[in-house]
Amino acid sequence: MDARLRRVNKEIADCKNDKQSSVTIDLVDESPFHLIGSFDGPEGTPYEGGRFQVDIVIPDNYPFQPVKMKFITKVYHPNVSSASGAICLDILKDAWSPVLTLKSTLISLQSLLCSPEPRDPQDAEVAKHYMTSKSSFEDTARYWTMIYAGGPGKEGLGKGAKGGPRDEIAMAGLDRAHVAQFEALGFDRAKVIDVLRRLNYRGANVANINDDRVVEELLK
Amino acid sequence: MSTEPDKYDLQGCAQLQQEEWEILESIHPDCLSRDSSSGFIRLEVPVELAESTCVTIQTGQVDPESSYHPGPSCPKALSLASLPPILLDISLPPTYPYTPPQIQTIRATYSWLRFDDSELRDYLGRKWEKGEGVLYTWVECIRSGQFLDELQLTQAENGRRTIRIHHPMPGLIKPVLESYNASTQAARFSQNSYECEVCLTSIKGARCVMLLCGHVFCRSCLEDFWKLCIKEGDVGRVGCPDPGCVKEQREANEEEVRRVVTEEEVLRWKWLRAKRAVEKDPTVVHCPMAQCQTPVPRAPNVEEGSPYERLRTCPECGFSFCAYCKHAWHGPVATCPISATKAILTEYMALPEGSAERKQLETLYGRVALQKLVDQYEHEKKFREWLAQRMGTPCPGCDLPVEKASGCNHMTCVRCQQHYCYRCGAKLDKIHPYKHFSTPGIRCFQRLFDEHIDIDEWQPVEGFNVI
Repeated sequence: MDARLRRVNKEIADCKNDKQSSVTIDLVDESPFHLIGSFDGPEGTPYEGGRFQVDIVIPDNYPFQPVKMKFITKVYHPNVSSASGAICLDILKDAWSPVLTLKSTLISLQSLLCSPEPRDPQDAEVAKHYMTSKSSFEDTARYWTMIYAGGPGKEGLGKGAKGGPRDEIAMAGLDRAHVAQFEALGFDRAKVIDVLRRLNYRGANVANINDDRVVEELLK
Repeated sequence: MSTEPDKYDLQGCAQLQQEEWEILESIHPDCLSRDSSSGFIRLEVPVELAESTCVTIQTGQVDPESSYHPGPSCPKALSLASLPPILLDISLPPTYPYTPPQIQTIRATYSWLRFDDSELRDYLGRKWEKGEGVLYTWVECIRSGQFLDELQLTQAENGRRTIRIHHPMPGLIKPVLESYNASTQAARFSQNSYECEVCLTSIKGARCVMLLCGHVFCRSCLEDFWKLCIKEGDVGRVGCPDPGCVKEQREANEEEVRRVVTEEEVLRWKWLRAKRAVEKDPTVVHCPMAQCQTPVPRAPNVEEGSPYERLRTCPECGFSFCAYCKHAWHGPVATCPISATKAILTEYMALPEGSAERKQLETLYGRVALQKLVDQYEHEKKFREWLAQRMGTPCPGCDLPVEKASGCNHMTCVRCQQHYCYRCGAKLDKIHPYKHFSTPGIRCFQRLFDEHIDIDEWQPVEGFNVI
């Protein structure tokens, strides 16, 4: 009777049978309508080596309404909110089609990691970082992959997330010298990182931001 | 095998015939019928073409009797996947397959094909080889349309096979071929199975719907989908669920919607579409008839700036009205009552130039037309300013502005014959107009003439007295 249940069960079974792709779908609890999907970070991107988990909620009118997805794993990406994991992707909204499946949608998320669209950002700060300095952005994304998604990290030695304290400066994608410069004025380190991140104090953009402006923000 | 006919083992022949028949029956059960007592066989073989083959119908050439339908041959192109069956009545001699089968008659259903049957008989006859069953080969020759090549009715155009049929009445045979094609297509569709990508189940064609874009879904999925969209007012999503079609926003047409949902839902769908169109179209003005209120868009093909931009004719009640003043249509020339245009103009001019609201009014009333109104207003304003500067008091009787070049201040209006004072605008008595200038105490006393220049001119020229 319940077409939604039948379809979801079929999709979960299909995904289980497919040993080829890295995409998996698991139950959270008894309900087949709340799931966790996961996939590998695409090769050749800063997300390579990470494993990304996605919270999946199947709406009542599935598949005629889009499935609700957001990242559980923190991702540094212009189209993913760095705070909430919310995703900006057309097929999750108006371009949804009932023909799309959980698996094909997860694969679309995987390819979203390959091709960021900073002009239509979910996270404006990350998008600014991406536009200002792509290489610095990639370093940060790689660092996040290492910390949150179990990626191999910058050195590629698989240090993983467990060992050592997190480097907040690298997390924010900032330059150590810049942070030190304002910290030396007597400001709290965390506050300096927060302000510099918000101001996108990176790469070529540094020249556009007056020291006074930074201090003003720090004093707020 | 190749011995004299009369030496044939008739029993062996009968067995070979029986075997051939059984094989044929298992492959093409729909094409055969047989009167076993008389040895007559009827083959009814439909012609199956490659998907959407081009078929043209031409008059002339084939039948000399049709020469009383003169006129240029009129090719009518059709795109078909099947042609009606060819009927073959065959008698098999007891000695077949050692002697050739006899074709009694050969003709096309609905006479869609008129041919010189000896040509086709010869062609089919040549396929027979002594001792070999030929019926299957014949069926294949016809089914595949190979015989059309033999009759020289085909030609290759841009690498695709096209078929030319000669028929004296193309207008008659065309709908016959089309409907035959449609019914075989429908039969084929309902017999096939399709994988519905929404419920991920394989479903018989009879329970599926093929949309105009060619995508097939099961009826119940489409029904659920469209019913939900119609219920929620999401009319833009009533279309093919395929991701490509969704991206292109290809919406279903009325025919498709009717095939899937109930009449009541079709009505709501149409209402939603009309509503959306109204909300989208900025040229829409509602019919001013109190009981009607139908949204009326600007008529298409009206040139920009044309006075007909204002004309709206309500499709519901037929009322023709002016989009500006909402009064009955007063023709392209007559201007609207001032109050109406003034309200529009005031609203328009109050908005900043280039603003979205201004653009909206421009699409509603026509940019050029509005610009004309603005120009007219500016012109009038300038004229009034000029009047106020240059002109004296207008006529107190009819407001006619007058410029006085010279003369006295006693004016008589050319339009309403009112007498008045040019200096103060007072109405003057028709019989004693000069009292106004000669009565002490009135402010215009002794001011019948007050232009200094005039007075100067009357000054005696210096040295006049000397002469």
